[in-house]
Amino acid sequence: MIKITNLEKFYRTEEVETIALNKLSIEIATGEFVAIMGPSGCGKSTLLNILGMLDDPDEGSYIFNEIEVAHFTERKRADLRKHNIGFVFQSFNLIDELTVFENVELPLIYTGVPASERVKRVEEVLDKMQIMHRRNHYPQQLSGGQQQRVAIARAVVNKPKLILADEPTGNLDSTNGNDVMELLTDLNEQGTTIIMVTHSEHDARYSHRIIRLLDGQAVVENIMV
Amino acid sequence: MIKNYIKTAYRSLRKNRGFTTINIMGLALGLATCLLIVLYVADELSYDRYNDKASRIYRVNEDLKLGDNAVKYAVCMAPLAKTLIAEYPFVENATRLKNAGTSHVKKGTLNISENRVAFADPSLFSVFTLPMINGNAASALVEPNSVVITETTAQKYFNSTNVVGKTLLFNDNTLCKVTGVIKDVPRQSHFNFDFFISMSSFPDSRSTEWLRSDYNTYVLLKDKSYAKQLEASFPALLEKFSGAQMKAQLNLSYAEFEKQGSFFRLNLIPLTDIHLKSNISGELSANGTTQYVYIFLLIAVFILLIACINFMNLSTARSANRAREVGVRKVLGSARKHLIAQFLTESVLVTIISTVLAFVIALFLLPLFNQLSGKELAINASSMVWIVPALVAIALFVGVLSGSYPAFYLSAFQPVDVLKGKLATGFKGSRLRSFFVVFQFSISIFLIIGTLVIYNQLNYIQSKNLGYNRSQVLVVKNVFELNGQAKLFKQKVKELPGVINATMTGFLPTSGWKNTAIYFRDASINEKTSLFPQSWQIDEDYIGTLGMKMAAGRNFSKDMATDSDGVMINEAAAKFLGFKDPVNSVIYKATDSKHDLAHTKQYRVLGVVKDFNFNSLHENVSPVVMTLAENNGALSIRLNTNNLSQLMSQINAVWKDVNPNVQINYSFMDQDFDATYRTEQRTGQIFIIFTALAIIIACLGLFGLAAYAAEQRTKEIGIRKVLGASVAAIAGMLSKDFVKLVGISILIASPLAWYAMNKWLQDFAYRINIQWWVLALAGIAALLIAVVTVSFQSIKAAVANPVDSLKNE
Ligand SMILES: Nc1ncnc2c1ncn2[C@@H]1O[C@H](COP(=O)(O)OP(=O)(O)OP(=O)(O)O)[C@@H](O)[C@H]1O
Ligand SMILES: [Mg+2]
Repeated sequence: MIKITNLEKFYRTEEVETIALNKLSIEIATGEFVAIMGPSGCGKSTLLNILGMLDDPDEGSYIFNEIEVAHFTERKRADLRKHNIGFVFQSFNLIDELTVFENVELPLIYTGVPASERVKRVEEVLDKMQIMHRRNHYPQQLSGGQQQRVAIARAVVNKPKLILADEPTGNLDSTNGNDVMELLTDLNEQGTTIIMVTHSEHDARYSHRIIRLLDGQAVVENIMV
Repeated sequence: MIKNYIKTAYRSLRKNRGFTTINIMGLALGLATCLLIVLYVADELSYDRYNDKASRIYRVNEDLKLGDNAVKYAVCMAPLAKTLIAEYPFVENATRLKNAGTSHVKKGTLNISENRVAFADPSLFSVFTLPMINGNAASALVEPNSVVITETTAQKYFNSTNVVGKTLLFNDNTLCKVTGVIKDVPRQSHFNFDFFISMSSFPDSRSTEWLRSDYNTYVLLKDKSYAKQLEASFPALLEKFSGAQMKAQLNLSYAEFEKQGSFFRLNLIPLTDIHLKSNISGELSANGTTQYVYIFLLIAVFILLIACINFMNLSTARSANRAREVGVRKVLGSARKHLIAQFLTESVLVTIISTVLAFVIALFLLPLFNQLSGKELAINASSMVWIVPALVAIALFVGVLSGSYPAFYLSAFQPVDVLKGKLATGFKGSRLRSFFVVFQFSISIFLIIGTLVIYNQLNYIQSKNLGYNRSQVLVVKNVFELNGQAKLFKQKVKELPGVINATMTGFLPTSGWKNTAIYFRDASINEKTSLFPQSWQIDEDYIGTLGMKMAAGRNFSKDMATDSDGVMINEAAAKFLGFKDPVNSVIYKATDSKHDLAHTKQYRVLGVVKDFNFNSLHENVSPVVMTLAENNGALSIRLNTNNLSQLMSQINAVWKDVNPNVQINYSFMDQDFDATYRTEQRTGQIFIIFTALAIIIACLGLFGLAAYAAEQRTKEIGIRKVLGASVAAIAGMLSKDFVKLVGISILIASPLAWYAMNKWLQDFAYRINIQWWVLALAGIAALLIAVVTVSFQSIKAAVANPVDSLKNE
């Protein structure tokens, strides 16, 4: 599903140039559950952002579903993204002014799903995440674990082929963290490809494969059994 | 401590350069505009106040009603001034002025046309404060053929101000001795003369007639409290002095005269009210109106409000971003009063900078503003005396007011809540800010509508069919100086190629010449139904030259000897007379003030001229009766030429030929017409400028608020983009709130503006109807302006990379 070759990403600030990704090459097949690990600042989030088409690589190729997207325009990327990719963040990134229901509904609005269909799909996914009873609450009224469920519900409501999760358990205690990992595993078993950044070896064990990064380069790949 | 506050404030302002710039510019522009308006208004209000005794000086006005005709005069009877001094111990002095009209003053071999000439009583200098540089003020205007001139005039004629004893020749026949040189009459005076000729040179000034009014008469009271008493005694005074003359001339006692419903009454107007509150027959100059002063003041207040609201809006908006800073400071132990002092220092600092900038902007705009307003406003030492304190007061007031909201609001918050970010959320939907935006835009829309209506009305006046054709008409204004040769001049001019026609008379729709007469509609000579029309003497070329149209009957003709017993009337007169068929009916003109058949002359109506406008379009067309008689007030020439300058020099040559000693004085009729509407025109222009400024200031505020709103929602925008929102959707979302507010403003402002502008239009007898599209256009313009302003920020926020905005969490 994903094939990146010699991917490079630089950040230039006034004084220094940081190489966030250094000739990185990775391949990920459809249906895989991949964990990305590595020390802080090694380029994990940068990689995830590029995979999620939120950011452009400076060099190299990125083939998504057999299409070269490395130098797509913003519009085309956005279009590809909203139909194929769901995001889960460490800090949930829910919109404070919208209710649980409305937060989950957003991606459907942006992909142009009709209103009646939206209600059905949002309710379905809220049910699955067991937060249906909270549908009219605002994010501030929920616990961290509940917020992350909502965030996952939002990520999957559009039935994406790929879910990118950046430290999804980073702000959660272990019970809530495990719940989230179970949810991701379920999704993966239903056929969704998952790429997850994590600092936790425990969480990484849920995945099929661990890619370890150091200074923007893949150093080890562990295959889980 | 204060130094520390200022240092911190300076850093914080620097850090938010964009906001600070918008804030300072908006406020400075607003203050500068207000300053200009206030200067303008102060100038209008300062008229005649240069007189030390201004508060004790009154002009005597006269209200006259004869039958159905009522007139208000700024002039009174010749003997009144003298009588007032003699009759009332509390009248300290009284003085008269009489406009001498255009005179010609000899300089070398040339006659220079001067129209600021007046006859004045010797008491002029005891009543008005007109300091004399040279000569004796007490005696200067006593002797006949004495003249007091202004400094500038002295320089113009003699290149010196030390000219007492020299002579000036007026109209080639009157030699006057210069007996005094005064400082120029201040511009802010309701009369502005360069020559004051002694009243004793003018024989009519000794007239004892009480039934005729020709003199602007001013009284100086010992105390202004006597004004009421004086006014109350006027009826008795008039009866006492005019009673006998009325009996002799009208064969009526004063009581009988009043019983007919006629009257003449005197009243007082304070000197300082004349410029703004009086606009009646016989004024010494075109006065202003209070209405415009109020309107401008209102606009100044509006603009100041808009600017202040902006300032507060932006300051409070920005302070929400600083909630975290406040929280941290509080946790670290900062006392509440220190926080308050910090915020206040910051906003006062900004207002002070704005004020200084406003002053500079006003200085730069002043020449332009003067050009538009036709004034000579100046920021000088004397105006600084009140400008500087006023500006400082405004700066402190606005600074403290706009600083206090964030200061007290934020500093009162519990630090925990602030740190948790509760405050930031609470600030987003601030109703107060929405209210402010609506308020600003309501004012802006109101002003846009106002401007459109004024513009349309002025356009309408310009293009209205006035019943005559004012383009391509040259008016030679001083043909009367050719005396007997005026006719020769007309004849020679008519022969020039490019001249289509020419008519000789001073009575033109665009000239100030007015002459009234009394006509009776039948032989019963009933005063109650008498006609009190304009009575104009014209020649047979008048209708043709001015392009007027006949409604019935015929024009005067040279070949009909009896036409001098005929009249032409306008439609208004025909309507007033009420004849079924006015042509060939007979009307009776009063030949003197005895109203009986023996003292009338009969005229046969030859034709009815379609109504043409000769008053300002504020008034309806009033009745005009025209007789065929020689009047050499002016020569109007209808031209048709491609080579105007050549024709002009030919006309000039003809003039020189007829009389080489007098300079020709001419103007174009359409220019004269425009002069009538100069006040409106100027007001219109100033209005447009102010509107533009108000809108710019409001937009600056909106721009800042939009930037703030976008900043507040950075994270939300990032999330939405990650979820697939397009740039258009984001920009739309951000603009929507503002557009909604502007929409509300349109709903509020449109009916108000419609109402107010209709009121303004009532002042015009000829006016437009406010079209719906004016309101629509104003609404669309406001929306467009708001959308453009806001979308600039919204698009900027929408195209930003979401990765950056989400990282901060
Ligand atoms: N916008 C940016 N400008 C400059 N440098 C950046 C930017 N974003 C990331 N970097 C740098 O790129 C490198 C990789 O950053 P990245 O966020 O991908 O690290 P990470 O592996 O996700 O770290 P963490 O585990 O702390 O989240 C870092 O050295 C970081 O300082
Ligand atoms: Mg990271």
